[in-house]
Amino acid sequence: MVKFTADELRRIMDYKHNIRNMSVIAHVDHGKSTLTDSLVAAAGIIAQEVAGDVRMTDTRADEAERGITIKSTGISLYYEMTDASLKSFKGERNGNEYLINLIDSPGHVDFSSEVTAALRITDGALVVVDCVEGVCVQTETVLRQALGERIRPVLTVNKMDRCFLELQVDGEEAYQTFQRVIENANVIMATYEDPLLGDVQVYPEKGTVAFSAGLHGWAFTLTNFAKMYASKFGVDESKMMERLWGENYFDPATKKWTSKNTGSPTCKRGFVQFCYEPIKQIISTCMNDQKDKLWPMLQKLGVTMKSDEKDLMGKPLMKRVMQTWLPASTALLEMMIFHLPSPSTAQKYRVENLYEGPLDDMYANAIRNCDPEGPLMLYVSKMIPASDKGRFFAFGRVFSGKVSTGLKVRIMGPNFVPGEKKDLYVKSVQRTVIWMGKKQETVEDVPCGNTVALVGLDQFITKNATLTNEKEVDAHPIRAMKFSVSPVVRVAVQCKVASDLPKLVEGLKRLAKSDPMVVCTIEESGEHIIAGAGELHLEICLKDLQEDFMGGAEIVKSDPVVSFRETVLEKSCRTVMSKSPNKHNRLYMEARPLEEGLAEAIDDGRIGPRDDPKARSKILSEEFGWDKDLAKKIWCFGPETTGPNMVVDMCKGVQYLNEIKDSVVAGFQWASKEGAVCEENMRGICFEVCDVVLHADAIHRGGGQVIPTARRVIYASQLTAKPRLMEPVYLVEIQAPEQALGGIYSVLNMKRGHVFEEMQRPGTPLYNIKAYLPVVESFGFSGTLRAQTSGQAFPQCVFDHWEMMSSDPLEPGTQAATIVADVRKRKGLKEQITPLSEFEDKL
Amino acid sequence: MDFESYYEIAPTADFIRSRSFTRVALQFPDELLKDSVRVVRALRDELQSLEYDTEGNGGDREVRFFVMADTTYGSCCVDEVGASHASAECVIHYGHTCLSPTSTLPAFFVFGKASINISRCADNISNYAWTNGKPIVVLFGLEYAHAMQDIKEALVVESSRLCGSRSRLELYCAEVMCSDMNPSGDDKTSNGHLGPVESCAADEGCGVATGARYSIGGLVWNLPAGHRLEEYILFWIGSDNSAFANVVLTFNGCDIVRYDATEKCLVTDLSQQRRILKRRYYLVEKAKDANIIGILVGTLGVAGYLRMIRLMKELIVGAGKKAYTLVMGKPNPAKLANFPECDVFIYVSCAQTALLDSKEFLAPVITPFEAMLAFNRGSEWTGAYMMEFRDLITSSLVEVKKQSGEARFSFLQGGYIEDVDLQEDVEKDEGGALALAYATERALQVRDKFPNFLIKGTAKSGAEFFATRSYQGLDMHSNNTLPEPYLIGRTGKASGYEDEKGKQENV
Repeated sequence: MVKFTADELRRIMDYKHNIRNMSVIAHVDHGKSTLTDSLVAAAGIIAQEVAGDVRMTDTRADEAERGITIKSTGISLYYEMTDASLKSFKGERNGNEYLINLIDSPGHVDFSSEVTAALRITDGALVVVDCVEGVCVQTETVLRQALGERIRPVLTVNKMDRCFLELQVDGEEAYQTFQRVIENANVIMATYEDPLLGDVQVYPEKGTVAFSAGLHGWAFTLTNFAKMYASKFGVDESKMMERLWGENYFDPATKKWTSKNTGSPTCKRGFVQFCYEPIKQIISTCMNDQKDKLWPMLQKLGVTMKSDEKDLMGKPLMKRVMQTWLPASTALLEMMIFHLPSPSTAQKYRVENLYEGPLDDMYANAIRNCDPEGPLMLYVSKMIPASDKGRFFAFGRVFSGKVSTGLKVRIMGPNFVPGEKKDLYVKSVQRTVIWMGKKQETVEDVPCGNTVALVGLDQFITKNATLTNEKEVDAHPIRAMKFSVSPVVRVAVQCKVASDLPKLVEGLKRLAKSDPMVVCTIEESGEHIIAGAGELHLEICLKDLQEDFMGGAEIVKSDPVVSFRETVLEKSCRTVMSKSPNKHNRLYMEARPLEEGLAEAIDDGRIGPRDDPKARSKILSEEFGWDKDLAKKIWCFGPETTGPNMVVDMCKGVQYLNEIKDSVVAGFQWASKEGAVCEENMRGICFEVCDVVLHADAIHRGGGQVIPTARRVIYASQLTAKPRLMEPVYLVEIQAPEQALGGIYSVLNMKRGHVFEEMQRPGTPLYNIKAYLPVVESFGFSGTLRAQTSGQAFPQCVFDHWEMMSSDPLEPGTQAATIVADVRKRKGLKEQITPLSEFEDKL
Repeated sequence: MDFESYYEIAPTADFIRSRSFTRVALQFPDELLKDSVRVVRALRDELQSLEYDTEGNGGDREVRFFVMADTTYGSCCVDEVGASHASAECVIHYGHTCLSPTSTLPAFFVFGKASINISRCADNISNYAWTNGKPIVVLFGLEYAHAMQDIKEALVVESSRLCGSRSRLELYCAEVMCSDMNPSGDDKTSNGHLGPVESCAADEGCGVATGARYSIGGLVWNLPAGHRLEEYILFWIGSDNSAFANVVLTFNGCDIVRYDATEKCLVTDLSQQRRILKRRYYLVEKAKDANIIGILVGTLGVAGYLRMIRLMKELIVGAGKKAYTLVMGKPNPAKLANFPECDVFIYVSCAQTALLDSKEFLAPVITPFEAMLAFNRGSEWTGAYMMEFRDLITSSLVEVKKQSGEARFSFLQGGYIEDVDLQEDVEKDEGGALALAYATERALQVRDKFPNFLIKGTAKSGAEFFATRSYQGLDMHSNNTLPEPYLIGRTGKASGYEDEKGKQENV
């Protein structure tokens, strides 16, 4: 650890070329946090005053308990490069001191919003991949996210110790595994061709891939070995590096390099010969306690051990030796400093992604140049609960200018529109704070390129915001973040003591502020609902709510609730008609399911109310086989005017039809939000207005007559078109060894899941299973799975799609009918579905 | 029960005579309308016989009766406007009432007398109270007011029998505030035949209680000082009607038990009523998101309604929203749906008709109390609930608090949202002479570049709402100046036009 005063730290923050902002991303359980810890242990900055306090990464109790990261944590590292190692560095620099702001993010899908927030404020990413498990679903997801944000990645193949101790594979096999891992990662990266970012693929021979053992605290890049051997072979370092990877073989017998394996028993791949084998040798010598052999070897490598360390035995000895020989911090930090961009480099190309306004205005230029003298542009990516209850730090990154204590800033919220006053505040920053370990230090100001926490703005920032100087009225905001997961799992909460309700309300507000992924709503019945990305996410939210945001007031939570959708299976069996309350107007309608994929297209925004009608009718006629004229007659989408249902006008020659359009649309918005079956949203239904009979006097065909009628006729047509429920379905990805497969299949069968892909990872005994699992059944799924496979399988669930339930909700006793009854009961509705006769009228 | 006593003919005649009214309006609810003729006849006979008794006192004076039915607003309130049409001097109100104070006319109330098994009732109540060991307050539907004296006595006897000497059962009975009413709205002056008797604490004799005084729906009772109502069990004698719902909502912190006189049993499960409260909470949250608010005038009689409406307007304007006042009699879904621009309606009416909750309404209908919770930033739902707006006017909630700058959290949308900025309008109004210019300037803004969009932004005022409607009225741009060809219209009745007859046969 490095002891610093706030002033010293503040000094380095001015050297914008010597700063690296980076996040650590990976699949869950690939060893991010362990690796981060070893970096922190070596180079973490702590405040001078608390030097005695050794604990650095003060994790939450629940994180330690579960062994996973829940909240992303930011840590600053300090590293001083030697002149020798910097001589090949070509970028701009300012002395040898480097400041690395590192954000360790969670790997579990439920918390991927944390990753999104972390990526926004960093420029580079250390992608950690387990050398055995390889690139997993979450690795892929976060990597895509990172590249989308123009974050440059470097890779580390982690858990090398497993190769040597657990699997004991020989050099060539290990090489093949590593090669495959790197290739897989490169395949994903290659899909993001970005001329500004350049080649983002990683190459061991260029030093952008490290090999690490986070648990044992050692790591290396080929640079380390290349340096070692370059002088010995009398070749250039970069030349040596190339030889240490790929199709380069060395035969010690002939002392010759070849590009093919000559077949002689002594001929080995460069990597195996010069990197893998020596490590393996050292490790095995240590593990076997052959100290007489060990000391000379170490001496040759130039590694000196302290005397008390020499008494260690077995694994501790091995750890100690490896840490001394190949310290993880040196290898990884040097890789980051060499290959990840400084803020000033990164912002040159990131400005396009970041800034919403014209790219040639002064703000864009200030961001592009990372100009500390320019106007302030600061993006707040998350709100961190402060130690005094109820307050938050606004945590973010300064992209240009300086933010200082007492500065008056313009706060542009996510709904801000330039030129309007909506979602805009002007307030003073009370304090600017930087973290030194867990200690917050107030500093006078923070220049661009750094992360910062602001005090006193939490009332005016809801989730994220762009800050600029008070006077910069023509600045546009920085683009809002997009989150990749959606909250599908919900619980109803209420307080045990009724009078605690204000506390609960306040707590929910704070919870919503602290976590962008959580949605706190209220049901029609007056129950408070918390929606999260998954079971685990919800559990953490509830815990935070009760302990941190409600001061321990007791809450009662319901079982997890899943929202459903209502759809139809077929076209209505007949045209249904409803009469207005005054009996003078009649609406005739039919419902039919939307074409397959159309609802998804609407969800994705490919088709929507804001489209140009011509473009829309083109997509509809070409992809979904609609009649061109019909496509122009879409009245609206719903619910909320954008949902995946529509009303289409099929009438011919009806008088006054345009007059009631607004009323029908209003009735449709209402009805599609609360379907006839159990008042869930509708999905994938097209309502066709077949005929309309209207009273000749305008006063008798007003909204009051038509809106309720439109609602009734929509319900009637829904009920005559074989209504069905749709349930949300997770995509589950599980990695497990072969012997666990039986257990996985049986659990999935029990839970109505089905496997659609099973693939063995080449070179490993592991299988990759992809399955669909109804969200309703997913509660307790991961627990059951672990029990059934003795802890060998760990599922990752992400919401994938809505699936129609085949059973008829109108037929008593079916599964759908049971669900409908449950939902209706929860919502306080009559148990019986309102019969069709209530909605349909006869002539 | 005989007709004369059910309709309290004698006391009514007394009331009319003692105040020498000559034009009397009789207000009947729908279910009692069938008896109206008999009541008028009986009253006339009674008055005439009274005339004979006190002969010489201006015998030529004739009292004219007017029967009113199908009231514009709730039948529980005195229809003063209706009575004024007949230039009546007073109103005799029959049937269920909310006893809301009147604003212009004196009124006399005939509650009707429902039958009740007194001993059974007293038995049930004292047994329940005994097993629970909490003091009780007895409330009742006004149709049982006639039997209360007996029930009270029966209860005292019953409780002393049950408790013996070990402990005393604390018992308080509510009283009917009054059975006639003067328009001053001062409820203490009137003194009808059931007028306030000192509250009676069982066993302790009739000590004058000096504690808190409670009143709801025409009932009043006192509790000794230092006691909170939450410590008591409330007994309600009567049916599950709006008066009871009023009690349940207002005293939602108390244990409430209902004795159903027709079923002759105790009803302790009130989950349905509790659900109503939560539902009201939801409506308040929903109202917070509203931009345009319709104030429905639900009464023209209850004292203070004008003040309430004014208060509501101030509140809404203070919250930066737009208010429209609507008078439409009893609201129903079809009437309210004629104002689709309103996001929420506030129903200003007497306490017992105020709760309108039906899924049929396009927009929620809330009470003035709920509106105060919703539109007063900083006020929060604590569980306390007020129905009568007389209480509301005096409550502390009324003062419009200064708005804090923090974005408001909307539970409907599940996030923080920005309210309409009202400061903007205020600034512009200051412009005085320029205000009109500003208004026209805004009116001429290009609102929508692509009128073909299928969605429109949320409107902040009625005008804006109309501007975004797709149908703007007759299309004047039509180039075709030739007269339209002659068309044969539809003939027949609305239930099935001639051209639809054929269809009907096919079905």
